Amino acid sequence: MDFPDGGREPTHQTQVRLQLRSRQADISLPDKTGPILVNTNLRRYALSTLVNTLLQSEKPIPLEFLINGTFLRTSLEEYLTANGISAENTLTVEYVRAIVPPLYLASFEHDAWVSSVDVLSSTSGAGNWMENAGFAPGHERILSGSFDGSLRVWNMSSEVLATSNSRTTPAIRSVKFYSPTQIVSSGDDCAITLWKYLEDQGTLSASLVPKLSLLGHSKSVECVAVHQRSNRILSASADGSVGLWSTKQSEGPSVPAAHLSSLAGNKRRRVSDHDSTPQRGPLSAKKAHSDCVSAAIFAPSDSTVGYSSSWDHTLKTWDLTTSTVVDTRTTSASIFSLNALPSLSLLAAGSSDKYIALIDPRTSATTITAMTLRGHTNSVVSLAPDPDSSYGLVSGSHDGTCRVWDIRSASSEKDGRVGKSIYTISRESVKGEERSRVGGEGIKVFDVKWDSKIGIVSASEDRRVQINQGKGMLNNDTPKAQVLQ
Amino acid sequence: NIDPESLLPRLPSPDELKPFPTGCGIIYKGHEGRVRSVAVDPSGTLIASGGDDGTVRVWGLRDGDQRWSVKLGTDEAVNVVRWRPGTDTRVLAAAIGEELYLIVPQLVTAEREGPGADITDRSRDIVDAGWGYAASNSANGPSKKQPAAQWIRPASTRLQDAGVLVKITLRKTIKVISWHRRGEYFATVSPQGQSHAVAVHTLSKHLTQLPFRRLKGLAQSAQFHPSKPIFFVATQRTIRSYDLSKQELLKTIQPGARWISSFDVHPGGDNLIVGSYDKRLLWHDLDLSMRPYKTLRYHKKAIRAVRFHQGGLPLFADASDDGSLQIFHGKVVGDLMENASIVPLKVLRGHQVRKELGVMDVDWHPREPWCVSAGADGTCRLWK
Ligand SMILES: [Mg+2]
Repeated sequence: MDFPDGGREPTHQTQVRLQLRSRQADISLPDKTGPILVNTNLRRYALSTLVNTLLQSEKPIPLEFLINGTFLRTSLEEYLTANGISAENTLTVEYVRAIVPPLYLASFEHDAWVSSVDVLSSTSGAGNWMENAGFAPGHERILSGSFDGSLRVWNMSSEVLATSNSRTTPAIRSVKFYSPTQIVSSGDDCAITLWKYLEDQGTLSASLVPKLSLLGHSKSVECVAVHQRSNRILSASADGSVGLWSTKQSEGPSVPAAHLSSLAGNKRRRVSDHDSTPQRGPLSAKKAHSDCVSAAIFAPSDSTVGYSSSWDHTLKTWDLTTSTVVDTRTTSASIFSLNALPSLSLLAAGSSDKYIALIDPRTSATTITAMTLRGHTNSVVSLAPDPDSSYGLVSGSHDGTCRVWDIRSASSEKDGRVGKSIYTISRESVKGEERSRVGGEGIKVFDVKWDSKIGIVSASEDRRVQINQGKGMLNNDTPKAQVLQ
Repeated sequence: NIDPESLLPRLPSPDELKPFPTGCGIIYKGHEGRVRSVAVDPSGTLIASGGDDGTVRVWGLRDGDQRWSVKLGTDEAVNVVRWRPGTDTRVLAAAIGEELYLIVPQLVTAEREGPGADITDRSRDIVDAGWGYAASNSANGPSKKQPAAQWIRPASTRLQDAGVLVKITLRKTIKVISWHRRGEYFATVSPQGQSHAVAVHTLSKHLTQLPFRRLKGLAQSAQFHPSKPIFFVATQRTIRSYDLSKQELLKTIQPGARWISSFDVHPGGDNLIVGSYDKRLLWHDLDLSMRPYKTLRYHKKAIRAVRFHQGGLPLFADASDDGSLQIFHGKVVGDLMENASIVPLKVLRGHQVRKELGVMDVDWHPREPWCVSAGADGTCRLWK
């Protein structure tokens, strides 16, 4: 038997038997490896050293240890005491590769606050939704929308390939790549615009031309979601309604009379430069919320189901085929952001009250909030799932940070299961500042995306799109049953 | 031996009285010089502010982005901004010097011309409706006397393009604007205006009336009762309530303060809070007494503004020159025999004191437990 503490004699130390297991084949111990007796004062680092010794690894692999689905954050002794487990028992301990910090990669500068971002890569929704979508490897792109009303498309060398008109127009609130050649934007102009995006081969320029205006909301359109296979856009508006639209001009109904900007009368002069852009109305637009709708998304597994979140504290489930609300969940505060954790059947809702609620939207669910993620010090206004792990997500907050969460890193507290973030991404624009800024002054984060190829991309009041490394931050191999006991 | 403590009613701890604002969420930055006044719009998504730089600004409440601004003057401060009640319109009243403006802020081009035009059109219609009445009235026969105030279209096309639709000129600097809940009437107070100190304006008629020709003392503030035809007028030491239909004095309330700065009527209509330059915050139960039910002395400097939450939460706030706001729980019970329970909840600090001036105004979100403040430090802040 080896003792990990350099051969010191374990005189009056308590000891416990560990059965060490890994689901990652390349770092697994031989099957015949039995329980190992270790001192209970060991912590993660010592255990990591121990396993690396057993693996005879040339270069130490930083490891994390999971007991009953929870990362070990204390000594074994403290863990046993906290969980009322006797040291007589043999503990089954799973180890996984430790995560890699989200290193800062680059920033792209805008003229004004950046409200929204999206990415195009071989792993992004728009890049891979169909085989002939036309995404060329190495042609990763970043799309950003600004409070000054402009859109920009960047390559990964921070060169602007295309920009929409730069005069001060209503703020952009949401942007999405629909395909490598189509872009969707929405904002304070109360409209959703579908743009044709075409790159000029071999040059650093591209054109961005409005192709279709979708009209029907009467206040700003805060968020758009796209589902390419069914040619659908789902929208969330400050007017309290959720809209469903077709991206096909032939399929969309005409614009409702009340929203036609070409109506006669001097009150409604037309000065828009979308004059020649075809306009279409919604397939449906229903006012179901009593306040601003902050987000609307398609269910990951079924595009006939949608979810919407609102300042009115509720999260609603929609049957999009009939445009009816089939379920309403009420939380304790305004919801400012929403996204899905696809493989866990959970929704993440970011709150004005600084927390993220993980909600099981299935009507069979008995508790509204399965788990709460705490750590932000201001409103949580954007959420994105980890593309490489079922358990990871990133949040963007008005506190000026993005936080990375592994929902396995959680503890049971009196008000339920509470998760803490595993990494905090600060704004590079205020690097070195020691004091955190009250109210996220000057650095509020407004949007964040997480792509397997490009990384974590965030938009901020600091007028920058910031890119941080996003690979290998989480491991993806604990069965979900253990996570949400 | 009885522990005297045990005889006192137990006050609930702040923790049991959540939700209430606990910290700064957003800082709205752009004004040069003091911000004198701040107001949350009835939809709860916009904030209006006015200040020493002579500008009125509109901000996105959630993100803190400036959506609109207009400069109304260069020599004087915008002392007060107040939204017309109701979510069907978006009309802002703002006062600079002795001039009062009615504004439909032209937030974005597309809202004026495109899908969101409805609210702008409705708002403009309601503000402009009075032109016809005023014109036909002056044409029909000789007017009895000089009108109390002229309502005119601002001459500047710059102002008109920004959405500044009406200019009303009074005799002295306007310090207070209070709307009636239905948005048809609003009152203004010009403390130095003597017989013209308190004016009541009728929106649909573009008409200004002076109901209080002889007021004892310097007028400080005025408010409509939230549900009855009753009007409250505060002078330096006294608040009087009047029955508007019978035109008679109802009550004379004596807060005991040396100089009242502001007051607010509880949405239920039977309770008042009063702030004073001599640092006192007073709660009056009008059913109980003409003297204060509670006197709260928490601030080191003058209290400039007091405000009840209007959307159903039992909260009120004050704003002080010591740079802080204080949040209170104030629950009014329906039972006449039971008194209101008042619990101090939180002191909100963040505004910097500039030249002896701290927080100059406070308003609540129409539904959420959030308030906004205006500071002499040039910022507005959202607390949530
Ligand atoms: Mg009473």
